[in-house]
Amino acid sequence: MRIRFRAVLPVLPSMVLIMALIPAPASAQGTPRAAAAWTPAHASDGQPDVQGFWEAEIGGTYSLVNPRRGGGRLEELLREKKGLPPIVKPSRIVDPPDGKVPYLPWAAAKQNDLLDHIDTPIKPEYVDPQARCLPDGVIRATFWSPFQIQQFPGYVVIVYEQNHPYRIIPLDGRPHIAESIKLWMGDSRGHWEGNTLVVDVTSNNSKARLDNEGDFASDAVHIVERYTFTDANTFLYEATLEDPSVYTKPWKISARMVRAHRKEPDYELWEDACHEGEHNVEIQTSPNEQRSDEKR
Amino acid sequence: MMMEFLSLFTDAERRSGPPRFLCVIPVVFLSLAPLASGTQPAAATLPRASDGKPDLSGIWQVLNTADWNIQDHQAQPGVPAGQGVVEGNEIPYQPWAVAKRKENFENRAVADPLAKCHLPGVPRITYTPLPFQIFQAPKQTTVLYEYAHANRVIYTNGSKHPDGRIDWWLGDSRGHWEGDTLVVDLVDFNDQTWFDRAGNFHSDELHVVERYTLIDRDHIQYEATIEDAKVFTRPWKMGMVLYRRKEKKIQLLEFECYGFEYEKYYP
Repeated sequence: MRIRFRAVLPVLPSMVLIMALIPAPASAQGTPRAAAAWTPAHASDGQPDVQGFWEAEIGGTYSLVNPRRGGGRLEELLREKKGLPPIVKPSRIVDPPDGKVPYLPWAAAKQNDLLDHIDTPIKPEYVDPQARCLPDGVIRATFWSPFQIQQFPGYVVIVYEQNHPYRIIPLDGRPHIAESIKLWMGDSRGHWEGNTLVVDVTSNNSKARLDNEGDFASDAVHIVERYTFTDANTFLYEATLEDPSVYTKPWKISARMVRAHRKEPDYELWEDACHEGEHNVEIQTSPNEQRSDEKR
Repeated sequence: MMMEFLSLFTDAERRSGPPRFLCVIPVVFLSLAPLASGTQPAAATLPRASDGKPDLSGIWQVLNTADWNIQDHQAQPGVPAGQGVVEGNEIPYQPWAVAKRKENFENRAVADPLAKCHLPGVPRITYTPLPFQIFQAPKQTTVLYEYAHANRVIYTNGSKHPDGRIDWWLGDSRGHWEGDTLVVDLVDFNDQTWFDRAGNFHSDELHVVERYTLIDRDHIQYEATIEDAKVFTRPWKMGMVLYRRKEKKIQLLEFECYGFEYEKYYP
Protein backbone atom coordinates (compact mmCIF):
# COMPACT_ATOMS: atom_id res chain seq x y z
CA MET A 1 0.00 0.00 0.00
CA ARG A 2 2.76 2.36 0.92
CA ILE A 3 4.54 2.10 -2.38
CA ARG A 4 1.33 2.19 -4.34
CA PHE A 5 0.71 5.69 -3.02
CA ARG A 6 4.31 6.65 -3.48
CA ALA A 7 4.22 5.53 -7.06
CA VAL A 8 0.95 7.16 -8.05
CA LEU A 9 0.71 10.39 -6.14
CA PRO A 10 3.78 12.20 -7.42
CA VAL A 11 2.63 11.60 -10.95
CA LEU A 12 -0.49 13.72 -10.82
CA PRO A 13 1.10 17.13 -10.25
CA SER A 14 4.15 16.33 -12.32
CA MET A 15 2.29 15.14 -15.36
CA VAL A 16 1.72 18.52 -16.92
CA LEU A 17 5.30 19.44 -16.15
CA ILE A 18 6.55 16.33 -17.87
CA MET A 19 4.41 17.17 -20.86
CA ALA A 20 5.89 20.61 -21.06
CA LEU A 21 9.52 19.72 -20.50
CA ILE A 22 9.72 16.70 -22.69
CA PRO A 23 8.63 17.21 -26.21
CA ALA A 24 7.67 13.95 -27.84
CA PRO A 25 10.85 12.10 -26.91
CA ALA A 26 12.37 11.79 -30.31
CA SER A 27 14.89 9.22 -29.20
CA ALA A 28 12.06 7.03 -27.95
CA GLN A 29 10.33 7.16 -31.26
CA GLY A 30 13.09 6.17 -33.57
CA THR A 31 16.36 4.35 -33.58
CA PRO A 32 18.77 4.27 -30.62
CA ARG A 33 21.14 7.17 -30.41
CA ALA A 34 24.78 6.42 -30.98
CA ALA A 35 25.42 4.12 -28.04
CA ALA A 36 29.18 4.03 -28.62
CA ALA A 37 29.46 7.60 -27.35
CA TRP A 38 29.19 6.46 -23.75
CA THR A 39 31.93 4.42 -22.13
CA PRO A 40 30.58 2.76 -19.02
CA ALA A 41 32.52 1.20 -16.19
CA HIS A 42 32.68 -2.55 -16.55
CA ALA A 43 32.03 -5.23 -13.99
CA SER A 44 34.54 -8.02 -13.36
CA ASP A 45 32.78 -10.27 -15.86
CA GLY A 46 32.94 -7.55 -18.53
CA GLN A 47 29.33 -6.34 -18.33
CA PRO A 48 28.76 -2.60 -18.66
CA ASP A 49 27.89 -1.47 -15.13
CA VAL A 50 24.30 -0.22 -15.28
CA GLN A 51 23.25 -1.04 -11.76
CA GLY A 52 20.76 1.02 -9.86
CA PHE A 53 17.16 2.20 -9.93
CA TRP A 54 15.48 3.05 -13.22
CA GLU A 55 12.01 4.03 -14.35
CA ALA A 56 10.16 5.01 -17.49
CA GLU A 57 10.34 8.72 -18.26
CA ILE A 58 6.63 8.52 -18.99
CA GLY A 59 5.46 5.82 -16.61
CA GLY A 60 2.21 4.05 -16.05
CA THR A 61 0.56 1.00 -17.52
CA TYR A 62 -2.91 2.32 -18.14
CA SER A 63 -2.51 2.43 -21.91
CA LEU A 64 0.03 1.61 -24.58
CA VAL A 65 -1.33 4.03 -27.15
CA ASN A 66 -1.70 6.98 -24.75
CA PRO A 67 0.74 6.17 -21.94
CA ARG A 68 -0.34 7.26 -18.48
CA ARG A 69 -1.09 5.95 -15.03
CA GLY A 70 -4.45 4.98 -13.58
CA GLY A 71 -4.15 8.15 -11.54
CA GLY A 72 -3.83 10.02 -14.80
CA ARG A 73 -7.22 8.67 -15.77
CA LEU A 74 -8.81 10.33 -12.75
CA GLU A 75 -7.33 13.61 -13.89
CA GLU A 76 -8.65 12.88 -17.34
CA LEU A 77 -12.20 12.44 -16.10
CA LEU A 78 -11.92 15.74 -14.24
CA ARG A 79 -10.77 17.45 -17.43
CA GLU A 80 -13.68 15.92 -19.29
CA LYS A 81 -16.08 17.30 -16.67
CA LYS A 82 -14.55 20.73 -17.08
CA GLY A 83 -14.86 20.49 -20.85
CA LEU A 84 -11.10 20.56 -21.41
CA PRO A 85 -9.54 18.60 -24.26
CA PRO A 86 -7.94 15.24 -23.36
CA ILE A 87 -4.20 14.98 -22.81
CA VAL A 88 -2.70 12.80 -25.50
CA LYS A 89 0.81 11.43 -25.32
CA PRO A 90 2.76 9.64 -28.01
CA SER A 91 2.03 5.95 -28.31
CA ARG A 92 4.65 3.59 -26.94
CA ILE A 93 4.12 1.57 -30.10
CA VAL A 94 6.62 2.70 -32.73
CA ASP A 95 6.05 -0.08 -35.24
CA PRO A 96 3.62 -0.20 -36.97
CA PRO A 97 3.79 3.56 -37.58
CA ASP A 98 0.12 4.11 -36.71
CA GLY A 99 0.99 3.39 -33.09
CA LYS A 100 -1.60 0.64 -32.71
CA VAL A 101 -1.37 -3.05 -31.92
CA PRO A 102 -1.82 -4.97 -35.22
CA TYR A 103 -4.47 -7.38 -33.98
CA LEU A 104 -6.08 -10.11 -36.00
CA PRO A 105 -9.84 -9.40 -36.25
CA TRP A 106 -10.87 -11.81 -33.45
CA ALA A 107 -8.21 -10.36 -31.18
CA ALA A 108 -9.27 -6.78 -31.90
CA ALA A 109 -12.80 -7.75 -30.93
CA LYS A 110 -11.59 -9.28 -27.68
CA GLN A 111 -9.53 -6.24 -26.79
CA ASN A 112 -12.49 -3.97 -27.53
CA ASP A 113 -14.69 -6.05 -25.27
CA LEU A 114 -12.16 -5.83 -22.43
CA LEU A 115 -11.83 -2.08 -23.00
CA ASP A 116 -15.61 -1.63 -22.97
CA HIS A 117 -15.76 -3.18 -19.50
CA ILE A 118 -12.83 -1.35 -18.05
CA ASP A 119 -15.02 0.41 -15.48
CA THR A 120 -17.72 -2.23 -15.33
CA PRO A 121 -16.05 -5.56 -14.58
CA ILE A 122 -19.28 -7.53 -14.53
CA LYS A 123 -17.43 -10.83 -14.90
CA PRO A 124 -14.19 -11.92 -13.20
CA GLU A 125 -12.56 -12.09 -16.62
CA TYR A 126 -12.87 -8.32 -16.93
CA VAL A 127 -10.88 -7.64 -13.77
CA ASP A 128 -7.38 -6.64 -14.73
CA PRO A 129 -5.04 -9.30 -13.27
CA GLN A 130 -2.88 -6.46 -11.99
CA ALA A 131 -5.69 -5.51 -9.61
CA ARG A 132 -5.39 -8.99 -8.12
CA CYS A 133 -1.66 -8.43 -7.56
CA LEU A 134 -0.77 -11.01 -10.18
CA PRO A 135 2.61 -10.47 -11.83
CA ASP A 136 2.56 -8.04 -14.73
CA GLY A 137 4.71 -9.93 -17.20
CA VAL A 138 7.99 -8.56 -18.49
CA ILE A 139 6.78 -5.56 -20.49
CA ARG A 140 4.12 -4.14 -18.23
CA ALA A 141 6.29 -4.52 -15.12
CA THR A 142 8.86 -2.29 -16.80
CA PHE A 143 6.43 0.62 -16.81
CA TRP A 144 4.49 0.21 -13.57
CA SER A 145 7.08 1.18 -11.00
CA PRO A 146 10.77 1.90 -10.65
CA PHE A 147 12.95 -1.19 -10.73
CA GLN A 148 16.45 -2.03 -9.65
CA ILE A 149 18.97 -3.52 -12.04
CA GLN A 150 21.49 -5.63 -10.16
CA GLN A 151 24.45 -7.30 -11.84
CA PHE A 152 26.36 -10.36 -10.75
CA PRO A 153 28.92 -12.46 -12.61
CA GLY A 154 26.98 -14.05 -15.46
CA TYR A 155 23.63 -12.53 -14.52
CA VAL A 156 21.45 -9.48 -14.72
CA VAL A 157 18.74 -9.43 -12.05
CA ILE A 158 15.82 -7.01 -12.21
CA VAL A 159 13.70 -6.48 -9.10
CA TYR A 160 10.56 -4.39 -9.58
CA GLU A 161 9.41 -2.22 -6.69
CA GLN A 162 5.71 -2.77 -6.98
CA ASN A 163 4.32 -6.20 -6.06
CA HIS A 164 7.88 -7.59 -5.74
CA PRO A 165 8.26 -9.59 -8.95
CA TYR A 166 11.78 -10.18 -10.19
CA ARG A 167 13.57 -11.55 -13.22
CA ILE A 168 16.76 -13.53 -13.40
CA ILE A 169 18.50 -13.08 -16.75
CA PRO A 170 21.38 -15.54 -17.28
CA LEU A 171 24.04 -14.36 -19.72
CA ASP A 172 25.84 -17.66 -20.25
CA GLY A 173 24.05 -18.68 -23.42
CA ARG A 174 22.19 -21.61 -21.91
CA PRO A 175 19.10 -22.76 -23.82
CA HIS A 176 15.58 -21.75 -22.77
CA ILE A 177 13.48 -24.04 -20.60
CA ALA A 178 10.80 -26.06 -22.36
CA GLU A 179 8.17 -23.80 -23.92
CA SER A 180 5.53 -26.01 -22.23
CA ILE A 181 6.51 -24.57 -18.84
CA LYS A 182 4.66 -21.25 -18.73
CA LEU A 183 5.69 -18.48 -16.37
CA TRP A 184 4.10 -15.17 -15.37
CA MET A 185 7.44 -13.40 -15.87
CA GLY A 186 8.61 -15.58 -18.76
CA ASP A 187 11.96 -17.27 -19.26
CA SER A 188 14.73 -14.76 -20.01
CA ARG A 189 18.08 -15.27 -21.70
CA GLY A 190 20.36 -12.29 -22.22
CA HIS A 191 23.54 -11.18 -23.86
CA TRP A 192 25.36 -7.87 -24.26
CA GLU A 193 25.94 -6.26 -27.66
CA GLY A 194 28.20 -3.38 -26.69
CA ASN A 195 26.09 -1.20 -24.39
CA THR A 196 22.88 -2.99 -25.33
CA LEU A 197 21.45 -5.78 -23.23
CA VAL A 198 19.41 -8.05 -25.49
CA VAL A 199 16.94 -10.33 -23.73
CA ASP A 200 15.03 -13.13 -25.39
CA VAL A 201 11.85 -14.05 -23.49
CA THR A 202 9.86 -17.24 -24.03
CA SER A 203 7.49 -19.37 -21.91
CA ASN A 204 5.29 -16.33 -21.18
CA ASN A 205 1.96 -17.45 -19.74
CA SER A 206 0.55 -14.09 -20.93
CA LYS A 207 -2.16 -14.15 -18.29
CA ALA A 208 -1.22 -10.61 -17.42
CA ARG A 209 -2.57 -7.91 -19.73
CA LEU A 210 -0.24 -5.46 -21.43
CA ASP A 211 -2.17 -2.51 -19.98
CA ASN A 212 -5.51 -1.62 -18.35
CA GLU A 213 -7.12 -1.20 -21.74
CA GLY A 214 -7.19 -4.92 -22.42
CA ASP A 215 -4.22 -5.22 -24.75
CA PHE A 216 -2.95 -8.76 -24.63
CA ALA A 217 -0.75 -11.50 -26.08
CA SER A 218 -1.18 -15.26 -26.10
CA ASP A 219 1.06 -17.76 -24.37
CA ALA A 220 2.77 -18.31 -27.73
CA VAL A 221 4.24 -14.81 -27.70
CA HIS A 222 7.95 -14.39 -28.23
CA ILE A 223 9.42 -11.18 -26.87
CA VAL A 224 12.82 -9.69 -27.62
CA GLU A 225 13.83 -6.76 -25.44
CA ARG A 226 16.71 -4.38 -26.05
CA TYR A 227 18.07 -2.16 -23.25
CA THR A 228 20.36 0.33 -24.98
CA PHE A 229 22.31 2.42 -22.47
CA THR A 230 23.10 5.76 -24.03
CA ASP A 231 24.67 7.54 -21.06
CA ALA A 232 25.04 7.06 -17.32
CA ASN A 233 21.44 8.11 -16.67
CA THR A 234 19.45 7.05 -19.70
CA PHE A 235 18.57 3.98 -21.66
CA LEU A 236 16.22 3.18 -24.47
CA TYR A 237 13.86 0.28 -23.84
CA GLU A 238 12.57 -1.53 -26.90
CA ALA A 239 10.52 -4.69 -27.05
CA THR A 240 9.31 -6.60 -30.07
CA LEU A 241 6.34 -8.94 -29.70
CA GLU A 242 5.81 -11.73 -32.17
CA ASP A 243 2.67 -13.85 -31.88
CA PRO A 244 1.04 -14.93 -35.16
CA SER A 245 -1.94 -16.34 -33.26
CA VAL A 246 -2.91 -12.80 -32.14
CA TYR A 247 -1.18 -10.23 -34.36
CA THR A 248 -0.95 -9.77 -38.12
CA LYS A 249 2.78 -8.98 -37.78
CA PRO A 250 5.42 -8.38 -35.12
CA TRP A 251 5.14 -5.01 -33.41
CA LYS A 252 7.42 -2.93 -31.29
CA ILE A 253 7.29 -0.58 -28.33
CA SER A 254 9.97 1.91 -27.40
CA ALA A 255 10.44 4.22 -24.43
CA ARG A 256 13.08 6.32 -22.78
CA MET A 257 14.09 5.18 -19.31
CA VAL A 258 15.83 7.33 -16.71
CA ARG A 259 17.44 6.92 -13.32
CA ALA A 260 14.94 6.75 -10.45
CA HIS A 261 15.38 8.05 -6.89
CA ARG A 262 18.29 10.20 -8.02
CA LYS A 263 17.94 12.53 -5.07
CA GLU A 264 17.97 9.65 -2.59
CA PRO A 265 21.41 8.02 -2.82
CA ASP A 266 20.59 5.73 0.10
CA TYR A 267 17.28 4.60 -1.35
CA GLU A 268 16.62 0.93 -0.64
CA LEU A 269 14.34 -1.67 -2.09
CA TRP A 270 11.71 -2.31 0.59
CA GLU A 271 9.09 -4.98 0.82
CA ASP A 272 5.89 -4.36 -1.10
CA ALA A 273 3.50 -7.13 -0.19
CA CYS A 274 0.50 -6.77 -2.51
CA HIS A 275 -1.58 -9.92 -2.47
CA GLU A 276 -1.48 -9.95 1.32
CA GLY A 277 -4.38 -7.75 2.40
CA GLU A 278 -5.33 -6.72 -1.11
CA HIS A 279 -8.89 -5.41 -1.37
CA ASN A 280 -8.90 -3.56 -4.69
CA VAL A 281 -10.98 -6.18 -6.43
CA GLU A 282 -13.58 -6.36 -3.66
CA ILE A 283 -13.89 -2.59 -3.83
CA GLN A 284 -14.11 -2.65 -7.58
CA THR A 285 -16.76 -5.35 -7.75
CA SER A 286 -18.85 -4.57 -4.67
CA PRO A 287 -21.97 -2.59 -5.66
CA ASN A 288 -22.38 -1.02 -2.22
CA GLU A 289 -18.79 -0.14 -1.63
CA GLN A 290 -18.00 3.54 -1.71
CA ARG A 291 -14.82 3.88 -3.64
CA SER A 292 -12.32 6.29 -2.28
CA ASP A 293 -8.62 6.77 -2.44
CA GLU A 294 -8.42 6.41 1.33
CA LYS A 295 -9.77 2.90 1.09
CA ARG A 296 -7.31 1.91 -1.52
CA MET B 1 35.77 -16.38 19.12
CA MET B 2 33.96 -15.96 22.37
CA MET B 3 33.44 -12.28 21.70
CA GLU B 4 31.76 -13.01 18.43
CA PHE B 5 29.16 -15.15 20.10
CA LEU B 6 28.68 -12.54 22.77
CA SER B 7 28.28 -9.74 20.28
CA LEU B 8 25.65 -11.72 18.45
CA PHE B 9 23.45 -11.42 21.47
CA THR B 10 24.13 -7.87 22.47
CA ASP B 11 21.09 -6.65 20.60
CA ALA B 12 19.00 -9.57 21.77
CA GLU B 13 19.64 -8.74 25.37
CA ARG B 14 18.74 -5.13 24.88
CA ARG B 15 15.40 -6.15 23.47
CA SER B 16 14.20 -8.73 25.94
CA GLY B 17 16.57 -8.37 28.84
CA PRO B 18 17.08 -11.99 29.91
CA PRO B 19 20.16 -12.56 32.04
CA ARG B 20 23.18 -12.78 29.81
CA PHE B 21 24.28 -16.25 30.93
CA LEU B 22 20.93 -17.71 29.84
CA CYS B 23 21.64 -16.69 26.26
CA VAL B 24 25.30 -17.20 25.94
CA ILE B 25 26.03 -20.54 27.49
CA PRO B 26 23.75 -22.66 25.33
CA VAL B 27 24.73 -20.79 22.19
CA VAL B 28 28.43 -21.37 22.65
CA PHE B 29 27.77 -25.02 23.17
CA LEU B 30 25.55 -25.37 20.15
CA SER B 31 27.79 -23.36 17.91
CA LEU B 32 30.72 -25.59 18.68
CA ALA B 33 28.69 -28.73 18.07
CA PRO B 34 29.17 -28.81 14.28
CA LEU B 35 32.90 -28.43 14.70
CA ALA B 36 33.02 -31.33 17.11
CA SER B 37 31.03 -33.55 14.76
CA GLY B 38 33.58 -33.22 12.00
CA THR B 39 31.99 -30.62 9.73
CA GLN B 40 34.62 -27.98 10.27
CA PRO B 41 34.74 -25.73 7.23
CA ALA B 42 37.60 -26.49 4.92
CA ALA B 43 38.41 -22.79 4.88
CA ALA B 44 41.15 -23.02 2.31
CA THR B 45 39.02 -24.75 -0.32
CA LEU B 46 35.80 -22.76 -0.01
CA PRO B 47 34.74 -20.83 -3.09
CA ARG B 48 35.40 -17.17 -2.44
CA ALA B 49 33.98 -13.94 -3.84
CA SER B 50 36.13 -11.11 -5.16
CA ASP B 51 36.23 -9.55 -1.68
CA GLY B 52 37.56 -12.75 -0.12
CA LYS B 53 34.29 -13.71 1.61
CA PRO B 54 32.97 -17.22 1.15
CA ASP B 55 30.83 -17.18 -2.00
CA LEU B 56 27.28 -18.22 -1.15
CA SER B 57 26.05 -17.61 -4.69
CA GLY B 58 23.96 -20.34 -6.20
CA ILE B 59 20.66 -22.17 -5.99
CA TRP B 60 19.95 -23.81 -2.64
CA GLN B 61 17.21 -25.88 -1.09
CA VAL B 62 16.58 -27.79 2.11
CA LEU B 63 16.08 -31.54 2.26
CA ASN B 64 13.93 -31.71 5.35
CA THR B 65 10.34 -31.57 6.59
CA ALA B 66 10.62 -28.39 8.64
CA ASP B 67 7.93 -26.63 6.63
CA TRP B 68 5.43 -29.21 7.89
CA ASN B 69 6.70 -29.15 11.45
CA ILE B 70 9.94 -27.79 12.84
CA GLN B 71 9.72 -30.26 15.74
CA ASP B 72 9.96 -34.06 15.75
CA HIS B 73 6.88 -35.51 14.12
CA GLN B 74 5.62 -38.76 12.71
CA ALA B 75 4.03 -39.25 9.33
CA GLN B 76 0.40 -38.34 8.67
CA PRO B 77 -1.53 -38.28 5.41
CA GLY B 78 0.33 -35.77 3.24
CA VAL B 79 2.96 -35.13 5.89
CA PRO B 80 6.31 -36.93 5.78
CA ALA B 81 7.82 -37.93 9.12
CA GLY B 82 10.76 -35.87 10.22
CA GLN B 83 13.23 -35.18 12.93
CA GLY B 84 12.93 -31.66 14.23
CA VAL B 85 15.26 -28.81 13.37
CA VAL B 86 14.84 -27.09 16.75
CA GLU B 87 17.85 -27.48 19.02
CA GLY B 88 16.67 -29.67 21.88
CA ASN B 89 13.30 -30.01 20.09
CA GLU B 90 11.42 -27.98 22.73
CA ILE B 91 10.11 -24.50 21.90
CA PRO B 92 9.99 -22.42 25.10
CA TYR B 93 6.47 -21.00 24.78
CA GLN B 94 4.97 -18.89 27.54
CA PRO B 95 1.92 -20.61 29.07
CA TRP B 96 -0.65 -18.58 27.09
CA ALA B 97 1.25 -19.28 23.88
CA VAL B 98 1.07 -23.05 24.40
CA ALA B 99 -2.70 -22.76 24.14
CA LYS B 100 -2.48 -20.52 21.09
CA ARG B 101 -0.13 -22.92 19.35
CA LYS B 102 -2.57 -25.78 20.03
CA GLU B 103 -5.40 -23.75 18.54
CA ASN B 104 -3.29 -22.96 15.49
CA PHE B 105 -2.49 -26.66 15.08
CA GLU B 106 -6.15 -27.61 15.14
CA ASN B 107 -7.03 -24.96 12.54
CA ARG B 108 -3.88 -25.36 10.46
CA ALA B 109 -5.58 -26.46 7.24
CA VAL B 110 -7.05 -23.00 6.73
CA ALA B 111 -5.24 -20.86 9.28
CA ASP B 112 -1.72 -21.50 8.02
CA PRO B 113 -0.72 -18.26 6.27
CA LEU B 114 0.72 -20.32 3.43
CA ALA B 115 -2.72 -21.78 2.79
CA LYS B 116 -3.54 -18.22 1.65
CA CYS B 117 -0.24 -17.94 -0.18
CA HIS B 118 0.97 -15.16 2.08
CA LEU B 119 4.69 -14.46 2.33
CA PRO B 120 6.13 -17.04 4.73
CA GLY B 121 8.32 -14.87 6.95
CA VAL B 122 11.91 -15.63 7.89
CA PRO B 123 13.25 -18.24 8.59
CA ARG B 124 10.32 -20.22 7.12
CA ILE B 125 10.99 -18.89 3.61
CA THR B 126 14.36 -20.68 3.79
CA TYR B 127 12.85 -24.12 4.40
CA THR B 128 9.69 -23.75 2.36
CA PRO B 129 10.58 -26.76 0.24
CA LEU B 130 11.31 -24.78 -2.91
CA PRO B 131 14.67 -23.61 -4.26
CA PHE B 132 16.02 -20.11 -3.80
CA GLN B 133 18.97 -18.31 -5.34
CA ILE B 134 21.58 -16.22 -3.55
CA PHE B 135 23.28 -13.40 -5.47
CA GLN B 136 26.17 -12.10 -3.41
CA ALA B 137 27.92 -8.78 -3.75
CA PRO B 138 30.10 -6.97 -1.21
CA LYS B 139 27.50 -4.41 -0.12
CA GLN B 140 24.29 -6.31 -0.59
CA THR B 141 23.24 -9.89 -1.02
CA THR B 142 19.98 -10.50 -2.84
CA VAL B 143 18.01 -13.65 -2.14
CA LEU B 144 15.31 -14.58 -4.65
CA TYR B 145 12.84 -17.31 -3.75
CA GLU B 146 10.82 -19.45 -6.11
CA TYR B 147 7.89 -19.09 -3.70
CA ALA B 148 5.66 -16.32 -5.10
CA HIS B 149 8.56 -14.19 -6.33
CA ALA B 150 9.46 -13.48 -2.71
CA ASN B 151 12.74 -11.63 -2.48
CA ARG B 152 14.80 -9.77 0.03
CA VAL B 153 17.98 -7.80 0.14
CA ILE B 154 20.47 -8.42 2.94
CA TYR B 155 22.36 -5.14 3.27
CA THR B 156 26.01 -5.70 4.25
CA ASN B 157 27.07 -2.07 3.87
CA GLY B 158 27.08 -1.29 7.57
CA SER B 159 23.62 0.27 7.47
CA LYS B 160 21.28 -0.15 10.41
CA HIS B 161 17.65 -1.18 10.58
CA PRO B 162 15.40 1.69 9.49
CA ASP B 163 13.92 3.95 12.13
CA GLY B 164 10.48 3.27 13.35
CA ARG B 165 8.39 0.23 13.78
CA ILE B 166 7.60 -1.39 10.43
CA ASP B 167 5.37 -4.41 9.81
CA TRP B 168 6.94 -6.48 7.09
CA TRP B 169 6.29 -10.09 6.15
CA LEU B 170 9.96 -10.84 5.60
CA GLY B 171 11.34 -8.33 8.11
CA ASP B 172 14.34 -6.10 7.58
CA SER B 173 17.66 -7.85 6.95
CA ARG B 174 21.04 -6.32 7.88
CA GLY B 175 24.07 -8.53 7.58
CA HIS B 176 27.72 -8.62 8.49
CA TRP B 177 30.47 -11.19 8.31
CA GLU B 178 31.89 -12.86 11.40
CA GLY B 179 34.88 -14.69 10.00
CA ASP B 180 33.49 -16.92 7.27
CA THR B 181 29.90 -16.73 8.52
CA LEU B 182 27.30 -14.33 7.12
CA VAL B 183 25.27 -13.17 10.12
CA VAL B 184 21.93 -11.52 9.36
CA ASP B 185 19.92 -9.60 11.94
CA LEU B 186 16.19 -9.25 11.24
CA VAL B 187 13.52 -7.15 12.95
CA ASP B 188 10.36 -5.33 11.82
CA PHE B 189 8.21 -8.41 11.32
CA ASN B 190 4.43 -8.53 11.46
CA ASP B 191 2.63 -11.13 13.60
CA GLN B 192 0.97 -12.85 10.65
CA THR B 193 3.43 -15.60 9.76
CA TRP B 194 4.02 -19.03 11.28
CA PHE B 195 7.20 -21.09 11.53
CA ASP B 196 5.54 -24.15 9.96
CA ARG B 197 2.24 -25.76 9.02
CA ALA B 198 1.93 -27.10 12.58
CA GLY B 199 1.02 -23.69 13.99
CA ASN B 200 4.27 -22.68 15.65
CA PHE B 201 4.08 -18.90 15.77
CA HIS B 202 5.54 -15.61 16.96
CA SER B 203 4.47 -12.01 17.55
CA ASP B 204 5.56 -8.75 15.93
CA GLU B 205 8.35 -8.59 18.51
CA LEU B 206 10.15 -11.32 16.58
CA HIS B 207 13.90 -10.89 16.31
CA VAL B 208 15.77 -13.38 14.15
CA VAL B 209 19.51 -13.86 13.73
CA GLU B 210 20.45 -16.04 10.78
CA ARG B 211 23.89 -17.55 10.28
CA TYR B 212 25.00 -18.84 6.88
CA THR B 213 28.23 -20.85 7.03
CA LEU B 214 29.59 -22.62 3.97
CA ILE B 215 30.59 -26.14 5.10
CA ASP B 216 32.02 -27.01 1.71
CA ARG B 217 31.35 -25.95 -1.87
CA ASP B 218 27.86 -27.44 -1.96
CA HIS B 219 26.54 -27.21 1.62
CA ILE B 220 25.61 -24.33 3.89
CA GLN B 221 25.08 -24.78 7.63
CA TYR B 222 22.07 -22.55 8.28
CA GLU B 223 21.04 -21.48 11.75
CA ALA B 224 18.35 -19.16 12.98
CA THR B 225 18.08 -17.86 16.51
CA ILE B 226 14.55 -16.87 17.45
CA GLU B 227 13.75 -14.33 20.10
CA ASP B 228 10.32 -12.94 20.98
CA ALA B 229 9.70 -11.77 24.52
CA LYS B 230 5.93 -11.69 23.95
CA VAL B 231 5.72 -15.39 23.09
CA PHE B 232 8.76 -17.28 24.39
CA THR B 233 10.49 -17.52 27.77
CA ARG B 234 13.97 -17.48 26.21
CA PRO B 235 15.67 -17.36 22.80
CA TRP B 236 15.83 -20.65 20.94
CA LYS B 237 17.49 -21.89 17.84
CA MET B 238 16.96 -24.03 14.79
CA GLY B 239 19.57 -25.40 12.41
CA MET B 240 19.66 -27.26 9.12
CA VAL B 241 21.75 -27.85 6.04
CA LEU B 242 21.11 -26.08 2.73
CA TYR B 243 22.01 -28.14 -0.30
CA ARG B 244 23.25 -26.74 -3.59
CA ARG B 245 21.05 -27.77 -6.50
CA LYS B 246 23.53 -29.29 -8.92
CA GLU B 247 21.34 -30.25 -11.87
CA LYS B 248 22.81 -28.88 -15.06
CA LYS B 249 19.54 -27.21 -16.08
CA ILE B 250 18.53 -25.99 -12.64
CA GLN B 251 16.99 -22.52 -12.47
CA LEU B 252 14.25 -20.93 -10.43
CA LEU B 253 10.79 -21.36 -11.90
CA GLU B 254 7.62 -19.90 -10.35
CA PHE B 255 5.21 -20.92 -7.63
CA GLU B 256 2.66 -18.12 -7.93
CA CYS B 257 0.25 -19.74 -5.49
CA TYR B 258 -2.09 -16.75 -5.14
CA GLY B 259 -2.71 -16.91 -8.87
CA PHE B 260 -3.93 -20.49 -9.02
CA GLU B 261 -7.56 -19.70 -8.24
CA TYR B 262 -7.70 -16.90 -10.82
CA GLU B 263 -5.88 -18.54 -13.72
CA LYS B 264 -9.12 -19.86 -15.17
CA TYR B 265 -10.28 -16.30 -15.81
CA TYR B 266 -7.20 -15.49 -17.85
CA PRO B 267 -6.79 -18.30 -20.39
